[in-house]
Amino acid sequence: MNYMPGTASLIEDIDKKHLVLLRDGRTLIGFLRSIDQFANLVLHQTVERIHVGKKYGDIPRGIFVVRGENVVLLGEIDLEKESDTPLQQVSIEEILEEQRVEQQAKLEAEKLKVQALKDRGLSIPRADTLDEY
Amino acid sequence: MKYLEGPEKSCSPLAPEEELVSASQLEEEEENENEEENLDPDLALDVEEEEEEEENSLGDPAVLTAVHNAQKGLLSSPGIKAPGVLGMSPTSLYFLCQTLDYLSPSPFRPTHASTSSPARHFGPRLLSPDPSLFCSSPTLQSPRFSHLTQLHPQHQRMLQLQQQSRTPSPPAKKPWSQQPDPYANLMTQKEKDWVIKVQMVQLQSENPSLDDCYYQKYYQKLEKRQADEELLGQRSKVESLKLVTPYIQKAEAYESVVRIEGSLGQVAVSTCFSPRRAIDAVPHGTQEPEIGATSSQRLRVLYWIEKMFLQLLEIEEGQKDGPSRPCYSEQQRNQVEKLFQSLNTPEQNHLDEAADGFLQVLSVRKGKALVARLLPFLPQDRAVSLLLAITHHLPLLVRRDAADQALQMLFQPLSKYINHLTFHELLQGLQGLMLLPPGSSERLVTAVLQNQFGISLLYALLSHGEKLVCLDSSLEESNSDHTVWTDIVILIAWEIAQMPATSLAEPLAFPSNLLPLFCRHVDKQLVQQLEATMQLAWIY
Repeated sequence: MNYMPGTASLIEDIDKKHLVLLRDGRTLIGFLRSIDQFANLVLHQTVERIHVGKKYGDIPRGIFVVRGENVVLLGEIDLEKESDTPLQQVSIEEILEEQRVEQQAKLEAEKLKVQALKDRGLSIPRADTLDEY
Repeated sequence: MKYLEGPEKSCSPLAPEEELVSASQLEEEEENENEEENLDPDLALDVEEEEEEEENSLGDPAVLTAVHNAQKGLLSSPGIKAPGVLGMSPTSLYFLCQTLDYLSPSPFRPTHASTSSPARHFGPRLLSPDPSLFCSSPTLQSPRFSHLTQLHPQHQRMLQLQQQSRTPSPPAKKPWSQQPDPYANLMTQKEKDWVIKVQMVQLQSENPSLDDCYYQKYYQKLEKRQADEELLGQRSKVESLKLVTPYIQKAEAYESVVRIEGSLGQVAVSTCFSPRRAIDAVPHGTQEPEIGATSSQRLRVLYWIEKMFLQLLEIEEGQKDGPSRPCYSEQQRNQVEKLFQSLNTPEQNHLDEAADGFLQVLSVRKGKALVARLLPFLPQDRAVSLLLAITHHLPLLVRRDAADQALQMLFQPLSKYINHLTFHELLQGLQGLMLLPPGSSERLVTAVLQNQFGISLLYALLSHGEKLVCLDSSLEESNSDHTVWTDIVILIAWEIAQMPATSLAEPLAFPSNLLPLFCRHVDKQLVQQLEATMQLAWIY
């Protein structure tokens, strides 16, 4: 804010730990090292965090360069409060397994729904690309 | 082989970073690594070795490149000595690189994933050093945020509590207990300034009060509020920052795509500098759209109104920044005059002539708004002629206004100028209303009385006439003017009395001297009738 009062700028966020939510649903946590005028981000020591229920798992990813348009939101992480979470960290294998199970359950539910609708003569068009806009 | 590749990658990017690493950190790093038992058994032996070498080599970036070369050398021929290295054997160089690898936070160690300290995976140095953020002065409410950050009240309270809890013990507890971040300032100040510059350039504008209206207004309000606060109580003036965009002269931008009227698509002529730009076949300046025979009058009027409105906005803009009303600049006066002329108000002597354009402008809602907003800027004589023109054509205007009902906006500005009318002018204006148009049993004034604006204007004019008569006793003498005046008054009174109360419009302002005026000129019975009608209408 010192540089550009009255605007929102990422300059003040450099070298701080951030949580970045991407448009494809991924959550990245890393140190914001560099930005540009399009809000492209360079994340350092990045970790992709997968949440399933009350558990989460971190996959270390190294350095990320994220194109600005793919960011939904980002926020600074308070390092002192970071470990102050009710969530339980598990290993990567476990969380990936949990995620797979969750996805499967969702698909099953979706299938049942579609079937039920079909039985009643209704159909929902596939909303594959609706996420984008 | 894996080990050899690993350090090779990490060596070169770490070259600038290594200079920041102090000896103590290195030791601490070793201890950390030892605790977690990540240490390669080979390297446990080398702690002393690289400690002594560390002094020689870590300060010298040339060494690292030499080391890098040495790595390559290792693969081919271990016996070769790297140039510039102070008598280090390749094996010790190799181990040096190993330690360098450890100094970089190991990105992926799945086997050592521990739930106890998840933060460790990010490496030992977590916090970026910014002591200014942590040491907040007790007076400031929220140090990092400008006046524009609007926090939820709960959030604000939380922050306040934090501040309070922090300030009593800054010397006791170090908020940033970790080491300073070696990766800090990868983005140099120059680069940050560059990004800001780019963003600022995008924001620049020639007319910020137009382009950035909301922020400018907000900032003015804020400054005013702070000035008031300073006057009232708070002595300390908190300077709130303002965004000031730099004014950079934009390079002359040419139209790369030229369109010629009537053609389809782009012109297929290219030069070496501008591939698609045609020869200057396009005339400069405003292009009057060639409307053919099919152009409708109404469109033309609308277009004309738009153009005049733009001029009016310019005048208003100029006046807003400058001093108040009386001191108009020469340029402003010219602008106003130009606009007035373009309105094509008919001259006083030729009131009956087709003031077509003017009336058409006034038939459109926007035209009325235009005239209403222009009136305050006009010099008195111009305004008076406008007023008279409107009065003269009142029936027509009223008729055309039936749909819009927008004439009211003219009343306020016009009423100011009514007081400047001379008796003679007044009579002239009112006379036109008394006419009985051919083929109609109704006088024009009846329609006027049924319209709110019409009746308001009429009352205002009558009131002014009465005032003039009262003030200037010479007018009381029986001359033609006075007779005309009396006739007009009687006629109007009669018309009002004639009309059913419901069709009489409610005036916007009811002058107090109307009833006495009527009393003097008409008989008692009529006055009583008038009273009833007018007051009934007024109540409604």
